[in-house]
Amino acid sequence: MQGSRPLVRVVRLGLVSYQEGLRLQQVYVDRHRSGPAHSLLLCEHPPVYTTGIRHQPYPASRLDPLRLLGAEVHRANRGGLITFHGPGQLVCYPVLDLSGFRKSVRWYVAQLEKTVVSACGSLGVTATTSPHTGVWVGDNKICAMGIHCGRYVTSHGLALNCNTDLSWFSHIVPCGIEGKGVTSLSRELRRDVSVHEATPHLLAAFGEHFHCELSEDA
Amino acid sequence: MAAYALLRSMSSSFSSVLPLLSRSGSLSPAPLAVKTLFRRTLASSSRFSAALKFTDKHEWVRVEDDGIGTVGISNFAQEALGDVVYCGLPEVGTQLAQQDEFGALESVKAASELYSPLTGEVVEVNSLLADKPGLVNKSCYKDGWLMKMTIAKPAELDSLMDEAAYERYIRSIED
Repeated sequence: MQGSRPLVRVVRLGLVSYQEGLRLQQVYVDRHRSGPAHSLLLCEHPPVYTTGIRHQPYPASRLDPLRLLGAEVHRANRGGLITFHGPGQLVCYPVLDLSGFRKSVRWYVAQLEKTVVSACGSLGVTATTSPHTGVWVGDNKICAMGIHCGRYVTSHGLALNCNTDLSWFSHIVPCGIEGKGVTSLSRELRRDVSVHEATPHLLAAFGEHFHCELSEDA
Repeated sequence: MAAYALLRSMSSSFSSVLPLLSRSGSLSPAPLAVKTLFRRTLASSSRFSAALKFTDKHEWVRVEDDGIGTVGISNFAQEALGDVVYCGLPEVGTQLAQQDEFGALESVKAASELYSPLTGEVVEVNSLLADKPGLVNKSCYKDGWLMKMTIAKPAELDSLMDEAAYERYIRSIED
């Protein structure tokens, strides 16, 4: 690593709609035009199912029933297949310029996975990676990932189940992977683990794996 | 561009050759000479135009004999992406300006945007990639080509890096 560590600004958005999350990500992506402006957006979404750039597996006929469950449905320009976001899930959108880190999307995703594995570890959950991008506890996914990268600037990110109502996932094949399940920090630790409790662990792990300084606005 | 310039200079040298032939009274060898010269020049021009030019975002473009540009991503890019599982490519007929986003490649759940090296129109998209997106990793300069486009502004080729410059650029990034 050369010189001082990159500065990453932590932005806590609270509970925002998926659409608002997209709009804000774009605001932070655009800031990179005038120089380094790495940010880490943290939020929770009301129930929403999202798909990625591979939209062929999800025609309207397959997505419409999900709306009847009371969730929103959105297509996104990220990688990865269908997933669910909802209350109790820590959603993190790092908007980084990889030129300030390493210009490899493959490296970036691997570091995100390591970040989540470390965060889970510090909370007492042994999580692992697998050939399927994301973070797992055995055959159950505890954290989904799907990112977008344009001109080295990243958007979208990860979604860590803290005390999410996992029954929302039963209506989809999460990330298109048959035969696997989902889990959460609360399920694994058999006690309530909130987004509020998990967040500092995720931030500490992020600072460690990305060798960066995290700053918070007053 | 390069081929066109070569043809132009060749035709100007003909006007000096032909009067000589007609003076000798025999016209038939001339067309043969023209054909041979023409073919030889095309062969050398296609070697010249087969060189790759690179963008700073790791796309390459190769000017084919028919003046069409084949576009793909470099070895550096495919390694940095990881295994490509999906190629989102434009429709034939799409008009692109230089640096316009023309699609995305997905690998490790990451959708990475692709940027047009030149201004032109998409004339063909590699249909093999729908079933075999991994060709982008295995054969990024050959079978894993992404799209073909017209070259509306040949001068833009001068703004791209040749292979040697691109190699230097890669080394500077990796430091």
